Amino acid sequence: MADMANFFLAWLDPWLLLLTAAGTFAGIYIGAIPGLSVTMAASILISFTFKWEVNEALALIAGVFVGGVYGGSRTAILLNIPGAPSAIATALDGYPLAKKGLAGEAIGLTTLMSVLGGFIGILALALLAPPISALALSFQSRDYLLLGLIGILLVGTLSGDFAKGAFAGALGVLIGMVGLDPMTAEGRFTFGTITLMGGIHYVVAMIGFFGVAEALIQIRQIDTAAVRQTVSRVIPPWGDVKRYLGLALRSSGIGTIIGALPGTGGDIAALLAYDQARRSTKNPEVPFGEGAKEGLVAPEAANNAAVGGAFIPMLTLGIPGDAVTAVIIGALFIHGLKPGPLLLTDTPHLFWFLVGALTLANIFLLIFGLTGIRVFTKIVECPKAILMPLIIVLSVVGAYAIQNNPADIYWMLAFGVLGYFMKLYGYPVAPVILGVILGPMMDENYRRAMIGARGDPLVFLADFATHPISLVLTVGFLLMLASQTPLWPGRRRPR
Amino acid sequence: MTRTRRAGELWFALALLAFALVALWQAYGIAGFASLSSPGIFPMLAAATMVGASLAVVRATARQAPGGTGRSFLAEVLPARLIMFLAFIAAFLAAMPWLGFMPAAALFLYVAIAALWRRGLVKPALVTALALACIYVTFRLAFQIVLPRGVLIPALL
Repeated sequence: MADMANFFLAWLDPWLLLLTAAGTFAGIYIGAIPGLSVTMAASILISFTFKWEVNEALALIAGVFVGGVYGGSRTAILLNIPGAPSAIATALDGYPLAKKGLAGEAIGLTTLMSVLGGFIGILALALLAPPISALALSFQSRDYLLLGLIGILLVGTLSGDFAKGAFAGALGVLIGMVGLDPMTAEGRFTFGTITLMGGIHYVVAMIGFFGVAEALIQIRQIDTAAVRQTVSRVIPPWGDVKRYLGLALRSSGIGTIIGALPGTGGDIAALLAYDQARRSTKNPEVPFGEGAKEGLVAPEAANNAAVGGAFIPMLTLGIPGDAVTAVIIGALFIHGLKPGPLLLTDTPHLFWFLVGALTLANIFLLIFGLTGIRVFTKIVECPKAILMPLIIVLSVVGAYAIQNNPADIYWMLAFGVLGYFMKLYGYPVAPVILGVILGPMMDENYRRAMIGARGDPLVFLADFATHPISLVLTVGFLLMLASQTPLWPGRRRPR
Repeated sequence: MTRTRRAGELWFALALLAFALVALWQAYGIAGFASLSSPGIFPMLAAATMVGASLAVVRATARQAPGGTGRSFLAEVLPARLIMFLAFIAAFLAAMPWLGFMPAAALFLYVAIAALWRRGLVKPALVTALALACIYVTFRLAFQIVLPRGVLIPALL
């Protein structure tokens, strides 16, 4: 009970309150500016919060995450450019509404439903995380190995090309192996250099693959111009709120469940909720794709509900669901926390603090979401020619700040260039980051499980089939693997 | 319908395959097959996955219709503007140990913004000065982050 009181810590401490507000505000703008993703912002930001108190860092990051997921909808509605992948579905009906002169109303409705979705996701987090965590306490080393594999596999398959996703995930694991082996102190991929003995910090990889690579991609499209819309009334009519409440609740449920599945995040949640709304709405006032408000409410409620959902596997099992949660799990590790079943046992006060900070961030989202829209339209028009060089400078500061090591800057640039080519040729980069973070954990648990089986491969494999939790996870993993082969019903060999 | 591959896509897939093979060889060098719980086993598994996956990618990419020539590679994948921007970044990183972070960042920002934005020489200077002031106040003064110093003018950050 005393731990639950930490829920209000961010609400009552003025400094934490300010940091949550600043994070939410910054998240909205970062999420809104096309080319700046919340993953990019969080990965750069984490390096700066390295020396902060854990509560301060969590308050800021919670704000940036909640604000960033919402922020993408603003430019989707006003400019027809989704600021974040989770706002792709929002643009389908949001922009047509803006063209009809209803941009303000669309933004108002979006804000309200995003906040509602956010609250439902957080409620699910508060209710479900403790029992899942309690169950996960009985997990063995092999189960963690399987969870890691499932996480990477799920994120890897999202790109649609299994081979490219698998390559990216394995590359991440390999990067995570660089340095001295923590169990035997044997060098792995160090080439005899002292610089590599400490390994490659995952934040450096994150900044490279998300920050620098994205900046290089944006440089190619620097001349893309956007069309501005006029903004009138922002507060949505009460009749609209009542009318779409049921849809928003249903979509929030979808968002929470999808967000909680490792490998799926706000973008998938929003698209599925949009699809569900299109199927379930018999007679929309305006057809979908031409400015249907249902097409706006469903994805926005779902993508913000997915935030709370995504925290469930991350905090209870230590498995980040997508790129953003992979970055946030990195932040938790930096601050000495170990996301997983023991987090709620050892540091329950931090769990409740995070739940409180997320709730508070949603309240700030409501305030900032309904105000300052005219100023906002000016800010998001900041030319990419100014933004991209600035991102490079911030990335350099971020990479250097982690260990004050200039070599990290060169690694970051190398990852950035590699990430640029990977993105260009359709390789997903999120599995790389998941691999870098989960690789060492998987290696350690694999070896523990093998040592537990006394080095006998048959005993090792039999353990996966003879323990109930391991069996369920093994079957899940094999089914996911099989679904990527031509043997799976409905999946044909690509020609 | 057969997809057309992008210019340079097959070469990139082949480069990744070569990298994966080198990684597998290096991983084998850690401890070979000394035991199934040796420090080299997991890196070998990861590298073997990379080899298998990149072989599949090379096979799939090679089956696609060729999509471009050397000229289209430069236009599509490495346009002049991007090469110029990468050169600016390389110069920024090369200058940093000598000049220190702030002067090197000032030069990089000014040159990059002037070249990409094309609004004369005064506006980029103003934007650069404003951006650097924000960076200094936020990171050096507020966050107390140590920024790299240069050997030529060590007093300057």
